[in-house]
Amino acid sequence: MTRSPRHSTVLLGVAVLVLAGCVPDRDDNRDSGATTIPDTIVIGSTLPLTGTESKTGGRFKQGYELAVELENADGGIDLGGTKVPVRLNLLDDTTDQAKAVNLAQRLITQDKVNFFLGTYSTAVVEAQSTVAEQNKIPYVNGGGAATSIYAKGFTWVFGTLAPVANLASTEMSWIDQQQAAGKLPKPARVAIVWENTSHGKDFRKGVQDFTAAHSGGYQVVTDESFALDGKDFSAILSRVRAAHADLLMVDAHLPDFITMQRQYLSSDMCSKVLTYGARGTESDARSALGADGVNYILSAVWWNKQLGNAGLNKEFVDKFTAKYGTDPEWYQALGYEAARSLFTAIAQAGTVDKEQVRAKLSALRMDSILPGGTLSYPADKGGQADYPFVVQQNLPDGSSPIIYPADVATGTGVAPNPACKG
Amino acid sequence: MGEVVVLAVSAVLLAGFYAAMAYGLGLIYGVLRIVNLAHGGIIMASAYVTWQLFDRFAVDPFAAIPVVLVLFFILGMGIYLGLVRFLPRGPAGAVQSLLLLFGVWLVIRNVVYLLFTGNEQVIHTAYATSSVRILGGSFSATRFAVFGVAVIALIALHLLLTRTYLGKAIRAVAQNPDSCTLAGINVERVYLLTFGLGTALAGLAGVLASTLFAINPSFGAGELLKSFVIIVLGGLGSILGIALGALVLAFAEVFAVYAVPPYLTTAVGFVLLVVVLVLRPGGLFGQRVLR
Repeated sequence: MTRSPRHSTVLLGVAVLVLAGCVPDRDDNRDSGATTIPDTIVIGSTLPLTGTESKTGGRFKQGYELAVELENADGGIDLGGTKVPVRLNLLDDTTDQAKAVNLAQRLITQDKVNFFLGTYSTAVVEAQSTVAEQNKIPYVNGGGAATSIYAKGFTWVFGTLAPVANLASTEMSWIDQQQAAGKLPKPARVAIVWENTSHGKDFRKGVQDFTAAHSGGYQVVTDESFALDGKDFSAILSRVRAAHADLLMVDAHLPDFITMQRQYLSSDMCSKVLTYGARGTESDARSALGADGVNYILSAVWWNKQLGNAGLNKEFVDKFTAKYGTDPEWYQALGYEAARSLFTAIAQAGTVDKEQVRAKLSALRMDSILPGGTLSYPADKGGQADYPFVVQQNLPDGSSPIIYPADVATGTGVAPNPACKG
Repeated sequence: MGEVVVLAVSAVLLAGFYAAMAYGLGLIYGVLRIVNLAHGGIIMASAYVTWQLFDRFAVDPFAAIPVVLVLFFILGMGIYLGLVRFLPRGPAGAVQSLLLLFGVWLVIRNVVYLLFTGNEQVIHTAYATSSVRILGGSFSATRFAVFGVAVIALIALHLLLTRTYLGKAIRAVAQNPDSCTLAGINVERVYLLTFGLGTALAGLAGVLASTLFAINPSFGAGELLKSFVIIVLGGLGSILGIALGALVLAFAEVFAVYAVPPYLTTAVGFVLLVVVLVLRPGGLFGQRVLR
């Protein structure tokens, strides 16, 4: 069989068109960003600016925007001697997983943002981070704490929030000090009560790992979980009471914390040490339960403005207060650090090439406002930062000083709870 | 033994709130044969009204009950006159009513978002953490107060339905609206007043909820589902059955900890719902007409 010259011409034309389609155009080249220095570095992001997490989303937005503003005030990110300004392309994901995923897809594939700053809340980050991994774009978030996000073998996802297990272990470390000082019984009877979410499971793991590592000092006598938005915790509290627990270690979101603590107080229960994880120091808690209702509750957070007495922390707190007129909370601090770590990695790479920036994020070790003073994204933790929390305790004078770690403590903790009789 | 008694009292107190939560849904379904999907939104909106009265004017939640009842009675009549009365009666209007009232719920929720954001709101009264000692256990005084209000509402509703002309008209319309028309009862007016009354009862549940829980614009979804379970358990259309259904659900949830992990106890109600629908579609206490 022979081909006619006309057929050959057509095939040649098709081949030329196909090859032409394979040649990257200028936009594609810009997208990979291998060598060119752009006029602006565009950071894509979504946050829950409306919906159930709107308050928190607004706080993260403040952190992101402050970091961008400070970077641009200095001329922008230094790419091999050329300062390039940063622009934040921030969209509202309305606290909706599907929307967060779709918007991330749009920002990455259509708007062709250079890098991505993640959204807030574990569930939404978990869904959105998959898009970043699929599209191979560095994704730094300050709003996803669950270890499940970082246990998938993703290499493009980095988290600034330390695992919730660290929250529990940091609290237990303070408790251990009190026990060593003879203020708490040994072995202490521990009740673990946790919400049935990845957050709660990580908290439980933190307590369990600590008690297992200090087996002579602690005995877990109750281990109960509960569903979110509970209406009655009498059965769980009844079991805690029956177990004569010394330490009541609870992990709960605000609504369940309020409902459970009200029932705890009206049941005349009193534990030598009581914690609701990260809950207890917020103004909402005091207004919901009264000052007396939250006395001596132990809580731990990723960051606290009381850390802001010197160095980077002071600079952050001062600049935040000057811009917004309010004190920052951990949400803004974590948003700020997530953005700052991304900018640092870009500057270290000296390029907007995604692979090189990813490599710099993996190897990052930078001075930080977070406890411990250094931020990194260790590969053995799946890219999740790993540092201790700061432990606070509500005192009857209305203050909530940092009581642990000792090097950043602003007050002395009290154990056992002096309100408990006998 | 002591633990069982404590849990039993807790279950009874919880049942009081559950019953108050379901009266409105049961009443509207019993008479209009409409599942009011806006019920959860109305409970939430009422909780917000109570919170605003407390926060701005220092009105105690329990003292706010008359105001909320009147306000939500009028709101209910407004929803009926503006929307529900245009729906076709009978099975033809069933799907339309679900969609329409679901839309009403979304509107209520988004209005609350707009006005108050998605933040948690809480009412802290002086007695919020006070306790009452009974049968060897300490219990929340607020939960006792909520239980008391729920019992008063049950008695008042029962008396209304059995001792007044309006109540008898409501029961008659629930049985056979066509015959009522022939007998000279203004069926439309009964529907209007019933929808208003059902909405006011949902408002009452919102007041009680605001004294116990933190609220946000998403509040009410779980309450709607549980209300539905209760009216099915108690027998669709039976007010006394609703109280018993609430008791069954509360006991099942509280005592389920002996059989399943606590995080599964909320699912117990829905398992009960499926079992009852399969084995006794008329409810645990039989199909009844409002009484």
